[in-house]
Amino acid sequence: MDRIWNRGERDRAARMARARAAGLGRIVEASRIGELLAAVLVPGDRICIEGNNQKHADFLAASLAKLDPAVIHDLHVVQSNLALPAHLDLFERGIAKRLDFCYSGDQGVRMARLVKEGRIEIGAIHTYLELYSRYFVDLTPRVAFVAAHSADREGNLYTGPNTEDTPAVVEGTAFKSGIVVAQVNELVDRVPRVDVPADWVSFVVKAPKPHYIEPIFTRDPANITEIQVLMAMMVVKGIYAPYEVARLNHGIGFDTAAIELILPTYAESLGLKGRICRYMTVNPCPTLIPAIESGWVEGIHCAGSELGMEAYTAARPDVFFNGPDGSMRSNRVFCQLAGHYADLFIGSTLQVDPEGNSSTATANRIAGFGGAPNFGSDSRGRRHVSKPWLMAGREAARPGGGTMPRGRKLVVQMVETYREKMQPTFVEKLDAWKLMDEFGLDLPPVMVYGDDVTHLVTEEGIAHLHRCATVAEREQAVRGVAGYTPVGLARDRAAVEGLRDRGIVQRPADLGIDPRLATRDLLAARSIKDLVRWSGGLYDPPKRFRNW
Amino acid sequence: MSAGYLEATARQRVARFFDAGSVHEWLGPSARVTSPHLAALGMPAAFDDGVATGRATLAGRPVYFAAQEPEFMGGAVGEVHGAKLTGVLLRAARDRPDGVVLLLDTGGVRLHEANAGLVAIAEIQRAVFEARLAGVPVVAVCAGSNGCYGGIGIVARGCDRIVMTEEGRLSVSGPEVIEAHRGVEEFDARDRALVWRTMGGKHRYLLGEADALVEDRFEALREAVVPYLGHARPLDLDSVRAEHEALGRRLARFGEAPDSLDIWSALGVADPARVPMLEPGPFVEMAAPLRERADA
Repeated sequence: MDRIWNRGERDRAARMARARAAGLGRIVEASRIGELLAAVLVPGDRICIEGNNQKHADFLAASLAKLDPAVIHDLHVVQSNLALPAHLDLFERGIAKRLDFCYSGDQGVRMARLVKEGRIEIGAIHTYLELYSRYFVDLTPRVAFVAAHSADREGNLYTGPNTEDTPAVVEGTAFKSGIVVAQVNELVDRVPRVDVPADWVSFVVKAPKPHYIEPIFTRDPANITEIQVLMAMMVVKGIYAPYEVARLNHGIGFDTAAIELILPTYAESLGLKGRICRYMTVNPCPTLIPAIESGWVEGIHCAGSELGMEAYTAARPDVFFNGPDGSMRSNRVFCQLAGHYADLFIGSTLQVDPEGNSSTATANRIAGFGGAPNFGSDSRGRRHVSKPWLMAGREAARPGGGTMPRGRKLVVQMVETYREKMQPTFVEKLDAWKLMDEFGLDLPPVMVYGDDVTHLVTEEGIAHLHRCATVAEREQAVRGVAGYTPVGLARDRAAVEGLRDRGIVQRPADLGIDPRLATRDLLAARSIKDLVRWSGGLYDPPKRFRNW
Repeated sequence: MSAGYLEATARQRVARFFDAGSVHEWLGPSARVTSPHLAALGMPAAFDDGVATGRATLAGRPVYFAAQEPEFMGGAVGEVHGAKLTGVLLRAARDRPDGVVLLLDTGGVRLHEANAGLVAIAEIQRAVFEARLAGVPVVAVCAGSNGCYGGIGIVARGCDRIVMTEEGRLSVSGPEVIEAHRGVEEFDARDRALVWRTMGGKHRYLLGEADALVEDRFEALREAVVPYLGHARPLDLDSVRAEHEALGRRLARFGEAPDSLDIWSALGVADPARVPMLEPGPFVEMAAPLRERADA
């Protein structure tokens, strides 16, 4: 008996035939979305509803949530972000059962409830790169629902600045005999550029409303505090300068926004231009505009885009990755990879324990990971060298011994000792342990492991954790910059002073920084309007960020 | 300390607005006259109850001043805070300096002090008129981060002159209050572009309510205030009638306009959508000949 080698193709053909029999062509009217879903889905399907960090196939998600669970059920959802209420409606209504994802953000509390009620079976919580990778291993979607800006009549898609995860989702699905349904904002005669070719796309629906995009990377300089300016000065003078960090990944909080905004002022005064912060892998954060305009940052690859930055990025093709049509194309997979092999990652977190492990997990909430664990880890597969990588490798203590010279990625965590509502950032035990117990996880959900962190920066100083020879020494270095939190007050004063003598703990004064000079006057832009001015009027901020 | 007026504290503003070394404070923090109401509620107090008051010179001319502290309860007016403002104005009516400068930055009455705060507003309002009747010009500067709202918004319009920046806001009900009472369809408080084009400095200037619109710099604000010193505007029956007629004309002309953009367009602004991005200099150049002048 001949073995059948194309079951997937036959299955796809059967689904497509059902759609044709229902009178549905490649371009489907929004009013007939229910018929399309009924034709192409079967119970137990593995599906992805494109939910990125920013762009969401929201019309398709809402339509899926309206399906009859008696007909379509037990779906297995494999998607990076669960950000919309409709994503969880699928589980609450019994349409979907199993979930593999990366990040849930605002839906974290409701997700935790649904898990406890047994309505969601979680396969695993991934980083972005892990989940995209599994699209090409054992989690390939059978049907993918994606979002694009526009499509032509053939089905060619233009995804524009917010391309984000679309290429990964579509490739995994289309090349394994899956079905790709795209919602678009508009149908056009000719797309500005082809981001997804038509023969990878099964159906196109013009959504009644443009897809939802959240401006999550806009930080208003007006809200940057003088403590954040102080920490930014320490990072620039104490880390970027000595290592000459030219290629790096910035987190997206106010802490890193402060660094970006003191490049043209404070870093300029230190004579660092051309030596640091030349290439970045980060979203087009508006707070980067002054550093770009004054010639600091030469190249940026973006995981996503940012509302209001479209005209600006289009006008700076030497800096951003723009298509022949002139608009930027983001790509989360490549940006995550680029950031993984950069020389430094810097970001913030909610909790740090005395081993330097950090987590954003809080009780009663399943928030997930996103990209930080990949950015914030030593890239042990790296072989090309650079000054900061070699320098950090030379400095690093080798508790395990060994004679082989190695390089090392710089991983910096930047936190204030207390966060909002006077919650200490430093804790003896991470809430991640509680979450593990509560939800029966195999491991505590840790964002960045302590042994991957090279530098911990607080308003109290810098701890050079990679130079600590023992776990006990690392603990005192962490406590040494933990200020007046209980973790900080429990430090061994003599041990911390010893670390300070060896330069493993550095206070602002040790770096020659006078905290009194850490003022908002150092910020190249102090308001969103300043950013608009720096951009020559190209940056068009969303209305909610304006005060004019 | 930051460069602009917007981000400065009340005392930073006083120190940099008036002539260097000329500031003498009345009932400063060391006097510790604090709010009895906040104490009764177990809430944190400020030793100056959130307002600095005193005398100084501006371009060499004697003035009295009050400066609301933006960081203490949003500059809100309580009983002591209000009494200090009233006191400055009544003392000006008695001593007749060249002017009173009110650096206003407030959401209005402190809700915790309810009636006492409302009574204080009425007293401040009356004291403004006492000072003006004595020939002392009262100049309100509305350029702070909290805006100038509630009863103090009314007080400001009772002053001789109002000086604003484009970041400044002046109104009675704040955006959130309007949204809460009339619904998000009436006013979306999160649409900050809408908030500023309805209540911001440029709109107030175009409507003839703000007398000057300048950049958010101390020097620019000083230069705008100085010419008003020693020149009180008349406060008599004729001037009140003229103001009423002007407001009536304004209502007839713009009462049906759904948005500030329509008002600007009716005023003859060539490209209303561009107004928010114009810097203060070019804006005033464009707007000065077009703007509605209630006293014209």
